[in-house]
Amino acid sequence: MQTTFQTIEDWLGIEEAKEEYRALLNILEDFEEEKIKFQQIQKAILNLLDDMIEERIKSEQTKQALMNILEDIETERQKIEKSKVLLELANKELEAFSYSVSHDLQAPLRAINGFAQAVVEDYSDKLDEEGQRYIKLIQKNSRFMGQLIQDLLAFSRLGRQQIGTTEIDMERLAKDVFEELKGEASNRVIEFKLGSLPKAWCDPTMAHQIFVNLLSNALKFTGHREKAVIEIGYLQKENEGYYYIKDNGAGFDMKYVDKLFGVFQRLHTYEEFEGTGIGLALVKRIVTKHGGRIWAEGNINEGACFYFTLSRGEK
Amino acid sequence: MIEDCSIEILLVEDNPNDIELELRAFKKNNLGNKVLVVRDGAEAIDYLFGTGIYADRKNYIQPKVILLDLKLPKIDGLEVLRIIRSDEKTKMIPVVVLTSSNEEKDLIESYQLGVNSYITKPIEFDQFVQVTANLGYYWILLNKLPFKPIR
Repeated sequence: MQTTFQTIEDWLGIEEAKEEYRALLNILEDFEEEKIKFQQIQKAILNLLDDMIEERIKSEQTKQALMNILEDIETERQKIEKSKVLLELANKELEAFSYSVSHDLQAPLRAINGFAQAVVEDYSDKLDEEGQRYIKLIQKNSRFMGQLIQDLLAFSRLGRQQIGTTEIDMERLAKDVFEELKGEASNRVIEFKLGSLPKAWCDPTMAHQIFVNLLSNALKFTGHREKAVIEIGYLQKENEGYYYIKDNGAGFDMKYVDKLFGVFQRLHTYEEFEGTGIGLALVKRIVTKHGGRIWAEGNINEGACFYFTLSRGEK
Repeated sequence: MIEDCSIEILLVEDNPNDIELELRAFKKNNLGNKVLVVRDGAEAIDYLFGTGIYADRKNYIQPKVILLDLKLPKIDGLEVLRIIRSDEKTKMIPVVVLTSSNEEKDLIESYQLGVNSYITKPIEFDQFVQVTANLGYYWILLNKLPFKPIR
């Protein structure tokens, strides 16, 4: 500062300098005011900064809390992932187990059936009527057990199978399957009604299996009717559309509807209707695998109706 | 030790009941004296390559067909097939898998390893006899082989 005044005195005359001083003093006064204002502003800014720091600390804390939550979520996710892996492993083990059990069960069965046949062939003359009947029963039962094992294998295989979905013409498929099965019941009177069915996304083999199982059931359980009436159609209710297959057969008691889709569950005696009791369990497994569901309605001697959904339009 | 030139079918099977029934079925089709049974994968390899208990044999014919079970002690069926197919001396012998397994995995692996045919054993003996008759007729009588059977 001092240096500046001296420079001005040297530069201008004294009087002029005085004037200049006054003006300068005025300016300095103004400057002082400005300075105070500026300091006030600075203070305000500092306050603001303080506030901001506080806010920042708060947000930092919030961030930390969020991070903690995320970490917890990640831990949970890892836990779920782990149990999923364990579940898959257990599932695989179970499949392997049922495969090898079913597999190893077949060998002794072949022996039972084969040696029973050997007795029939080589020692028939040594057996009376009752003895021969017993042998026949042994064979009949080993055959039936063979069928049970085959069905169990098919069921277990289905669990491991990957599904390859493609667009299926359900109407055509239903018609083809009916023609295929009708041959075995050529001496019967059957009225087959086929409504208009939309296409579905489904594994082709499995879609075929659905209709084979449901239609052969319908044919089987209408076996005692003079005229069998079987109807396949499609209904749209609210957002959900479902296929249905209805018959006028033996039906079932709604009391046991929960048992209908269980493995090896049967609601009729073997004398009435044969079968191993795997068909509907298989259908249910297929439908569930495709993200659909299946349910049934029926009454004793008034027929049954099976409904199922399959996801449509998506792969 | 069986050492004659009549062996045309090598049956690789460990289950004694299956062996008895299979031999009965072969006998019914007049093929009983053409079958040699080996009880596990290792014995099958020994027979085909003249090693182990078959080391003393100089000249013998290779079978016209090998009927191979998949589930075998020591060396399993698929491994036996792999060995047969990877050796010049045996790679051309027809191999038919005869098994209880209906599994796609077994089917695919067998064909990938170059099996000639894959048959599942039927539970019904009548059907089993029929299968044996078909196998004998096809592989022993009908089928032509590219090699002289002498090793």
